[in-house]
Amino acid sequence: MGIFKKRVNDFPTPYTCTRAIREGGLETKLSMILMGLGNIVHGQKIKGLLYLAVEVAYVVFMAVNGIGFLRLLGSLGTVPQEEYWDETLQVYMYTKGDQSVLILLYGVATVLLTVLMFLAWRGALRSAYKAECLDKEGRHVNNFREDLKSLLHENLHRLLMTPPMFFIFAFTILPLIFMICMAFTNYSKIDNHLMLFDWVGLDNFKALFDSGSILGSTFWSVLGWTLVWAFFATFSNYIFGMIISLMINRKGTRAKGFWRFCFVLSCAVPMFVSLLIMRTMLQPEGAVNVLLRNLGLIAQDASLPFFTDPTWARVTVIIVNIWVGVPYTLLQLTGVLQNIPGELYEAAKVDGANAFQIFTKITLPYMLYVTTPYLIVTFTGNVNNFNVIYLLSGGDPVTDLSSTAGKTDLLVTWLYKLTIDKQYYNIGAVIGILTFIILAVAALLTYRNSKSYKEEGGF
Amino acid sequence: MAGNKIHSAKKRRFINNTIVHVILGILAVIWVFPIVWVILTSFRAEKGSYVSTFFPQSFTLDNYAKLFTDTTILNFPQMFMNTLFIAICSCILATFYVLAVSYCLSRLRFKMRKPYMNMAMILGLFPGFMSMVAVYFILKALGMTEGNLIKLALILVYSGGAALSFQIAKGFFDTIPIAVDEAAILDGCTRWQIFTKVTLPLSKPIVIYTVLTSFMSPWLDFIFAKVICRANADQYTIAIGLWRMLEKEYIDSWYTSFAAGAVLISVPIAALFLYMQRYYVDGLSGAVKG
Amino acid sequence: MRRRAVSVLLAGVMTLGLAAAGLTGCGSAGEGKESIRLMVWSPQNDQSKDNGEWLQTMCEAFADEHPEWDITFVYGIADEASAAGTVSQDAEASADVFMYANDTLTTMTDANALAKFGGKYREQIESMNSEAVLDSLTMDGELYGVPFTTNTWFMYYDKSVYTEEDVKSLDTMLEKGVVSFPFVNSWYLPAFYIGNGCTLFGDGTDESAGVDFGGQKAVDVTDYLIDLESNPNFRIDDLGSGIAGLRDGSINAMFSGSWDANSVKDALGDNMGVAALPTFTLNGEEKQMMSYAGSKAIGVNPNTDNMVAAVELAVFLGSPEAQRAHYEMCGTIPCCTELTEDPEIGADPVVMAQNETFLNTSILQPFVSKMNNCWTPVENMGKGIRNGSITHDNAADQTEQMNEAMNSDGI
Repeated sequence: MGIFKKRVNDFPTPYTCTRAIREGGLETKLSMILMGLGNIVHGQKIKGLLYLAVEVAYVVFMAVNGIGFLRLLGSLGTVPQEEYWDETLQVYMYTKGDQSVLILLYGVATVLLTVLMFLAWRGALRSAYKAECLDKEGRHVNNFREDLKSLLHENLHRLLMTPPMFFIFAFTILPLIFMICMAFTNYSKIDNHLMLFDWVGLDNFKALFDSGSILGSTFWSVLGWTLVWAFFATFSNYIFGMIISLMINRKGTRAKGFWRFCFVLSCAVPMFVSLLIMRTMLQPEGAVNVLLRNLGLIAQDASLPFFTDPTWARVTVIIVNIWVGVPYTLLQLTGVLQNIPGELYEAAKVDGANAFQIFTKITLPYMLYVTTPYLIVTFTGNVNNFNVIYLLSGGDPVTDLSSTAGKTDLLVTWLYKLTIDKQYYNIGAVIGILTFIILAVAALLTYRNSKSYKEEGGF
Repeated sequence: MAGNKIHSAKKRRFINNTIVHVILGILAVIWVFPIVWVILTSFRAEKGSYVSTFFPQSFTLDNYAKLFTDTTILNFPQMFMNTLFIAICSCILATFYVLAVSYCLSRLRFKMRKPYMNMAMILGLFPGFMSMVAVYFILKALGMTEGNLIKLALILVYSGGAALSFQIAKGFFDTIPIAVDEAAILDGCTRWQIFTKVTLPLSKPIVIYTVLTSFMSPWLDFIFAKVICRANADQYTIAIGLWRMLEKEYIDSWYTSFAAGAVLISVPIAALFLYMQRYYVDGLSGAVKG
Repeated sequence: MRRRAVSVLLAGVMTLGLAAAGLTGCGSAGEGKESIRLMVWSPQNDQSKDNGEWLQTMCEAFADEHPEWDITFVYGIADEASAAGTVSQDAEASADVFMYANDTLTTMTDANALAKFGGKYREQIESMNSEAVLDSLTMDGELYGVPFTTNTWFMYYDKSVYTEEDVKSLDTMLEKGVVSFPFVNSWYLPAFYIGNGCTLFGDGTDESAGVDFGGQKAVDVTDYLIDLESNPNFRIDDLGSGIAGLRDGSINAMFSGSWDANSVKDALGDNMGVAALPTFTLNGEEKQMMSYAGSKAIGVNPNTDNMVAAVELAVFLGSPEAQRAHYEMCGTIPCCTELTEDPEIGADPVVMAQNETFLNTSILQPFVSKMNNCWTPVENMGKGIRNGSITHDNAADQTEQMNEAMNSDGI
């Protein structure tokens, strides 16, 4: 129950914000209003000025745009596009209306910016307090050059993590919050709310939990298949990839590079190309069926129902996914497999274990231990494995004409149909959030209870 | 007696080796088969997207020639160069991000470490295309949706999320004994030097993996590229081009060239792997066992 | 944090810079002329050198006609079918003038991405085109585009197998040769249902009337389709198998549109026959297959800065002269009355078949918003019949389900 465990602070520091506010000197307290002041007073001029610049930039941004963005966030825009007839020019002229999507996006961005600003403000305050304390105690206060130098050693994580974090914020977190917000609006083609939409609270969630609705019943059956698919897709690839990797890397195997190349070659062909080709080959009149007929394995007018029978289709997509995924697993696992301590194997051999026992008793446990986080990520990746299903079966076959999802549709491909084809963005967002909640709880529980999470960092 | 034993052990090893080679051979054929089919199709003289036979009736080079000469409808050479440029840039950025983040999470201890790892795990649970339009408007606000800046936008999109998939590289770094780092610290190395001079040279397989996967994504993605490029045909990447060849107006006359294009895409990726896989051989087994 | 603020500022500066550059760039050329910039999107086909760069040629001719403007053209690629998606994604940053297929009309009006035509321009457009074509672009009495071609599908057949009399009846064709039909494509399959009196949204424009694909008339069609699918001389055309069959002679007739004309010509040579849709026999009665028909048109973006120039250009690109050039350079079938009556163009069999289908064996493809719900259920019906999950036993029930699904938002 790791999630609910009371947090223990592993990184205690005497320089906290509360203390800065309570015990800091005048310059530190003034840093609350004028960021960086404390640093400047205590000799960290450049650092202080940088903090000040951040504050000025934020204030300017808020004054110019930010306040306006926030104000519109409540109504999400109300002005529709207007037209009027221009008699002299003989054309219709149009005024610009509000666009709720943009208002929502800019609003969310401003809020996020403010959160970041708050963090920067806390950092400035703490830094000012630290400088003050060190100065008072007569200890050395780092100058800017020393601060920079520390980035290469004790603060290396700041240097290495900041740029990626910046992009994650801009291209993952911001769009994500935007998407979550959509679930509480009526942004959809129904009643034409594509340009102007409003907050509707939890209405969309109600529709999904109303078991009488088509949406509600479809959701649970699609979710069930999605989990089954993710389980099989993940472990079939994992085990199969590991076995192949072991076969290639064992001592007696010759031409290791050649074998590896054979398997990796299929990564080189773009996935959508190979999947479309598979799809063509597996059609009722496709190459595979024709070949089987010519070989006399099936009757002349028969064809194997690869994508037309629900069970066949489900098995087919899992098998084709092995073909698609194993090369990647091979690439990923070879490195880790090579790092299994050799002594373990030797000890097992001395004890007379056979290859199968070695695999189940040594390789698999070791690999599971090292790669649990990776496995969880692969599992969730398979839940969202859009390409394979969309390009291969397209969700077919559909057995229920009134349903919007087919028998091999995953939540993600169903979402695609709902949002891109049908433009029900709000419903799509609701499904996205529910999937997220279910998976996130499961993933985090597994992850935090896994050996590798508990023991890692134990050195 | 003893000689007999050695002999039978040898024999058994020989049989084992043969079995493994045969299995590998069969599997390799299965894996390579569709690729061969693509290659055959790329040389197929008969037009059209649908065939009921495995092997072409006659062969031609025209499909390749068409890609490079018939550039007014789909400018393949330009798309190829666009993609190559984007792939190289985003590959460098993404590889750096992944390795840097993995190293930090594996070797350094800081307050945001576990929160970051938990966050990365759950961020991947949201379907990416739901946020596509938002990403487009963010890029537009940054002024990157017109002209050559589109390339920059695509580079950022392809490398931006890379730091979230650190799991494999971190798992690898975790297996490198900590004693190596400690020794280096005693020698007076900074953390940065340990990262670049000690850890990375020991991690070639994982570097290769990271480079390969991040190099590949621009060649394969057709969803984001389409939303960001919109009508700017001079910025199209190769995946959009190939996808367009399958539209109903083009599919019949372009399908075999589509296969040719797929083969051409595979060449740089396959070449990159061939070049880098020599680092794979024997990896680091034995080299750093603590 | 700092960087983000800077980048937002930077973006602002950059846009200002671009705007300034644009202004000075244009301003230098004009003496009393108004400098304008028009962005035009069309399919790649219209801009390719092989086809003589139709769009560029026309735009330059337009510029010559209008010395009062100093026009800078910016070209982009968006084919008619996907233009709606691209334009409505961000109408503000889209072309001033673009081409779209009429079935995407509501997608674009919903996104405020399509301007109306009125006054003298509307009169001019009305004078050039037939009522049926104009109807395909009129919603609530307002005209939303300049049509430049019709859009429908018809039949290609092998003249060495069928006579002109044979191709009037699908049943005769199935007796004498092998026919292929895109059975699992919902643009084609409704032809049978509509042929037996099923309707979509009343006359196609009345959203509240809903879809009527139910009742005995629809069940009869489903039963007919099940029999058709199991006919040994019938093939499902999917993933290009139809054209491949024409090529190797295993199929003698297929259904498609003008975009396949060149491929069919290559496959059949002089034996290529083109015809409007045949009839089919249902319970002893002759019924006419009815395709969906629409048009492709030139639209104007309401966000344009130069409304007059954009409207003028749209009308110019849809004028008879431009349509003639379009036909000669790219093979686009014209739709204005002046050219369809032209003996030379009218004699082209593909043009003839397309026009005949448009006028006689088709219904106007509805473009009301709810039409969006009608595609998947019909496609699933086709697939269900192919899979064998829909049989004579459950045909009535399944047809009812299809009808319900077509009338529901699926929520």
